[in-house]
Amino acid sequence: MVSAAPTLTPSSVAITISEYINPVVSATRSVFEMMLGCVPTRRGLTLKDENAVMYEVSAVIGISGRVRGTLVVGLSCHSACEVLHRMVGTVVTEANNEVCDAVGELTNMIAGAAKAQLAKYELSLSLPNVVTGTSHRLHFPSETAPFVLTFDSDIGTFHIEVAFHEV
Amino acid sequence: MKVLLVDDSGTMRTIQRRCLAKLGIEDVAEAEDGQQALQLFEAAAFDLVMTDWNMPHMDGLTLLQEIRKRNKQIPVIMITTEAERARVVTAIQHGVSDYLVKPFTPDGLKEKLERWTTTRV
Repeated sequence: MVSAAPTLTPSSVAITISEYINPVVSATRSVFEMMLGCVPTRRGLTLKDENAVMYEVSAVIGISGRVRGTLVVGLSCHSACEVLHRMVGTVVTEANNEVCDAVGELTNMIAGAAKAQLAKYELSLSLPNVVTGTSHRLHFPSETAPFVLTFDSDIGTFHIEVAFHEV
Repeated sequence: MKVLLVDDSGTMRTIQRRCLAKLGIEDVAEAEDGQQALQLFEAAAFDLVMTDWNMPHMDGLTLLQEIRKRNKQIPVIMITTEAERARVVTAIQHGVSDYLVKPFTPDGLKEKLERWTTTRV
């Protein structure tokens, strides 16, 4: 599924950021604050390219409705374990089923909170799928232009990849 | 008081079960989806149901409808990421007793559960 990113005009990027990305950013802050007790700081926003960051744990949610999209939360194993620790107090050092469940639920809440701000698009979310494995990279369908949001937080640096396209 | 706790996330069930324990409620049955919950509901008498909305096999809204066919009185609290007004209205139309949007703070969950448990323990 590797392919060149579609061409974006400055105006289309601006619409995408204001329409879709800002709700994801505010949802991420809100979910981290309430569920993990820390407020992440957005460090960067880039278009995803072939040099994209690789993850150890990533949770993927499909979005459908009047627009379609995908939202991915990508973390290091350490950060993923810290998600579980902060949510239920369990200390682990490997991305086991409990860690995957916690990261999946965290991602579900981020996508859900963003969806609430995008109510006019009548969106539905898939159940989260969680991928683990050293240095994996996620590929999006060719018709999408994914953005990569980079956040710093008390649980470490993490990334959110998000792409929307018209139906 | 006997509670039926339904969520496909073990993490969320742990968080909610601990909150119930703080309120003195230890008799809690857990289900990972609506189908499993309905089987438990038919096999035992419960005083409160707490359910997620989006789950595999049978979602929380369908579970709510199935419960209301069998019992119109039992309190059912929906605890879900579905925050849009239209979704909340749909749940109310199908007989939900209360609604809590994820994410929530520990105090927010405790306050919500206290409303439905303190007079019934």
